[in-house]
Amino acid sequence: MLSNNSNSVVVLDNGAGYIKAGIGGDRDPKIVVPNCIGKPSSSKKFLLPDQLQSHDDLTSVSIRRPFDRGYLINPDLQKEIWSHLFKSLLHINPNNSSLLLVEPLFNLSSIQRSIDELVFEDLGFRSLFVADSPSLVHLYEASRRPDGLISRAQCSLIVDCGFSFTHAAPVLQNFTINHGVKRLDLGGKALTNYLKELVSYRSINVMDETFLIDEVKEKLCFVSLDVDRDLQIARKTGKDNLFKCMYVLPDGITHTKGFIKDPNEAQRYHSLQDYSSTLLPGTNEEVGQLEISEKTEDRKKIDLTKNEFHLTNERFLVPEMLFRPADLGMNQAGLAECIVRAVNSCHPHLHPVLYESIILTGGSTLFPRFAERLKRELRSLVPDDYQVKITTQEDPILGVWRGGSLLASSPDFESMCVTKSEYEELGSARCRRRFFH
Amino acid sequence: MEHEEMSGGGGGGGGGGGSLRRTSGRNRKVASKMVAALASTDNRTQAALARLEALENDNAAAEAAIEVNYIEDDDDSFDDEEDDQVYAKRQSKNTKRKTRQAKALDAKKAPRTFMELLHEANLEALPPHIPSYLRAAVGPPSSTSRRHFCAVCGFTATYTCVRCGMRFCSCRCQVIHNDTRCQKFVA
Repeated sequence: MLSNNSNSVVVLDNGAGYIKAGIGGDRDPKIVVPNCIGKPSSSKKFLLPDQLQSHDDLTSVSIRRPFDRGYLINPDLQKEIWSHLFKSLLHINPNNSSLLLVEPLFNLSSIQRSIDELVFEDLGFRSLFVADSPSLVHLYEASRRPDGLISRAQCSLIVDCGFSFTHAAPVLQNFTINHGVKRLDLGGKALTNYLKELVSYRSINVMDETFLIDEVKEKLCFVSLDVDRDLQIARKTGKDNLFKCMYVLPDGITHTKGFIKDPNEAQRYHSLQDYSSTLLPGTNEEVGQLEISEKTEDRKKIDLTKNEFHLTNERFLVPEMLFRPADLGMNQAGLAECIVRAVNSCHPHLHPVLYESIILTGGSTLFPRFAERLKRELRSLVPDDYQVKITTQEDPILGVWRGGSLLASSPDFESMCVTKSEYEELGSARCRRRFFH
Repeated sequence: MEHEEMSGGGGGGGGGGGSLRRTSGRNRKVASKMVAALASTDNRTQAALARLEALENDNAAAEAAIEVNYIEDDDDSFDDEEDDQVYAKRQSKNTKRKTRQAKALDAKKAPRTFMELLHEANLEALPPHIPSYLRAAVGPPSSTSRRHFCAVCGFTATYTCVRCGMRFCSCRCQVIHNDTRCQKFVA
């Protein structure tokens, strides 16, 4: 079953959350699997990522990830996942393929060394090219619109809001400007865990249900455009509360996947018009009273069924963390300020162009209204005579991989790689210098 | 009633429990102790840090039991040295049913956490013009004001718990907070 094509380039966007893997030149990766192994309560042993994905009972999965805080810490586990991936899922033979690997920014040299060992010594790839995600996203977006600003100015600001952290990275001439990169230590994982904690405290203990809450987050969370106003609405009762919705947990008998009880109910917040709705401040007290009586009622209802919980303000307070980490007690600036600082650390001539070519990538930018909120926050921080323009990627999860695929299919890709013999001769550190990271 | 609560606060600050409760005759002493506990804020900051740290956990701390099972009967390498797993390891040492595999696992070097690797990399020693992981951190926000949300229901919170510093918005939430969460997070 091994691929006969001896010149194949494997493009591997090895994220802490999801592995995106495929063959260079393709439009989409062949495989998108979580980068972890997990043991569901119904299983005796740990399952590999693809088995985990197809497993129908993902309740109480105990998870092990090769990544910690966005960086590879467990090469042995990664090796296990990779060898399975290449052999059984991609069907390639490393001995006659090259690897384009996407690494996080500012990877530690000790980690780079262990990755090189893994790639060349354990798996035996013919050659390796290491790229970072901002430059690949830039490459992809520039190639999509050859006459757009991004490709004409050859520069952009990539906001990569991933699983472990968020980077705002200026890119110039296809290279990430490292001294301009700013990092916010919040990503999808922290958001999921936060939601988990909130739900567990307020309704049902879901601390072990990472996959389930991941899905809840993806389906129900959104970014609020006006937190104060939305908090007021979330206090309301009955039909006036546009945010309240029920999520039904799997019971293992009739349904093995959780689902939203009433999808229409969950979508109601879209009807909310921007700022135009006026609230009568005088009615607040009354609303509070009503809420209490209904909440006790609700609690009874939930106690009876025991397998559903409702969400109200959690739906927007969870993604809100990205914009105001200080609310959580983190001593870090929010996303908008993060972007401003990244831009300010570049040459002043670049500022107007960078603000006009902000590109959002990474799974956590998929929250509805993310870009709108970000633009609003940026507008108040950016000088008036600069335009703020935010581009969202077609598919923020696959964006990096597609850039990698593009790069891998370029004619001089092979010449940019480090070959196995070079690695054997020069060692990891000297080979790495070629990638200018 | 009030005294009791205050002494409870002092006791909690010192890491103790109900045994430190005092009668009203020692009111003054208790109060000063509490003031000290509040001023140090050590417990509070620790708890806040622990909370933030928990956001990066893969498995909830309560899962230690499962990890123990895993160590005993599975055939794979050992995972990260997180607190719960250290705990799990210790537990597994105490249990009598220690298989050969488990012994082999103990011998095998456990992977280190990213923080350990970072410390080892000694990035502070780099000259200031070289960008690194540490210098890429965005840094503190320009405005120090933070919004406070009720720890119980999530709405804007106006009150602070005198014992643990968490926020709540109403009497009702205060009662729930005191019953369920107040100081219970301090390990």
